[in-house]
Amino acid sequence: MKHIDSFILLMLAGVASAVQAQDVPAAATAAAGSGGLENPAIAGDVPDAPAPRLPDGAPDLSGVWSGGGPIGDIGEGLLPGEEIVLLPEAQALMDSRLSADDPEANCLPTGVPRIAPYPWRIVQSPPYGKAEVLYFLFEGNIHSFRQIFMDGREHPEDPDPTWYGHSVGHWEGDTLVIDTVGFNELFWFDFLGHPHTSQLRTVERYTRLSYGTLENVTTVFDPGAYAKPFTIRHEARLRPGWDLMEYICNENNQDVEHLRGPPGL
Amino acid sequence: MRARFRGIGALFLLIAAGPAAAHHSFVTQYDADAPVTLKGIVTKVEWMNPHARFYIDVEDEDGQVVNWNLELASPNVLSRNGWTRHALKEGDAVTVEGSRARSGANMANARSVTLADGKQVFAR
Repeated sequence: MKHIDSFILLMLAGVASAVQAQDVPAAATAAAGSGGLENPAIAGDVPDAPAPRLPDGAPDLSGVWSGGGPIGDIGEGLLPGEEIVLLPEAQALMDSRLSADDPEANCLPTGVPRIAPYPWRIVQSPPYGKAEVLYFLFEGNIHSFRQIFMDGREHPEDPDPTWYGHSVGHWEGDTLVIDTVGFNELFWFDFLGHPHTSQLRTVERYTRLSYGTLENVTTVFDPGAYAKPFTIRHEARLRPGWDLMEYICNENNQDVEHLRGPPGL
Repeated sequence: MRARFRGIGALFLLIAAGPAAAHHSFVTQYDADAPVTLKGIVTKVEWMNPHARFYIDVEDEDGQVVNWNLELASPNVLSRNGWTRHALKEGDAVTVEGSRARSGANMANARSVTLADGKQVFAR
């Protein structure tokens, strides 16, 4: 609950400072100037309209988004009835992890389905008409990108393990379905250090529910680490008018040497 | 339709907030139960990722000057909240409230930064 309280405090702080331009106590865990992800000042900027469509009628997902995946605890996104059941070996690995070992804290990529607390942009190529490939361009954590092949190809037989795997996508109605395999075992699912193995496969289902909201329902299959698949749901928010900015995480990362103890929120 | 809203968006950007979370867990680096208030002179500002930082010289009870390393949000988040790299500069006298680093270093997460004239920087 603590983080939820923080969000509320941040929201209040954001509104109050915007309206009254005076000091408001910030949440204890918020660095000065960090604002809040769900600041209503931003939400109010998004048109109250349905999802836009491309000339061929397909939903247009392009734009700058933030959120849409787990950051702190992947369990927070579980759909009702879903649960995360770690296999003993995976549990032991998770229990052995230290906060300072989190790849993201070390300026390495998030992998899938984790998301960095920075905006990201969906680019369709070609921009109009039937997409051959979609690019997800990430500002954080290291200016990395995903490419989603939409041209009907299959996964390679034996893909080299990578941070973002090999992704193929197709449309089911207005939902973009992305199937990804070929992951390495290096990234964590969240700050808590939920692990996975190279058997990981993710199926993401993206639906632009409205102009400003992109739903992501992801099912995680990893028989090497979890007793059964589980499904999480998140919403990404459109950030109209935002550009991606340079974010070279390694240029002055002083945090890792000061992280202490097991992972935490 | 998107273009029509862009102008309004630019207005909101001045007060808009960015993501609150850092690229690392807060609680494993800083102790929210170890608040610290520091008065000192800014010796350096680093407008760099993954966090903007500034350093201040603080005179302790024995008259010794200690340099503190203070963490802010990232430059990207600060910029989106309307702040610039000129908001704080070397030589500024500031009062900082924050949470101390668990490592015991002279380091803190800066929660509020107030200039000598009472003006708050990075207040949104």
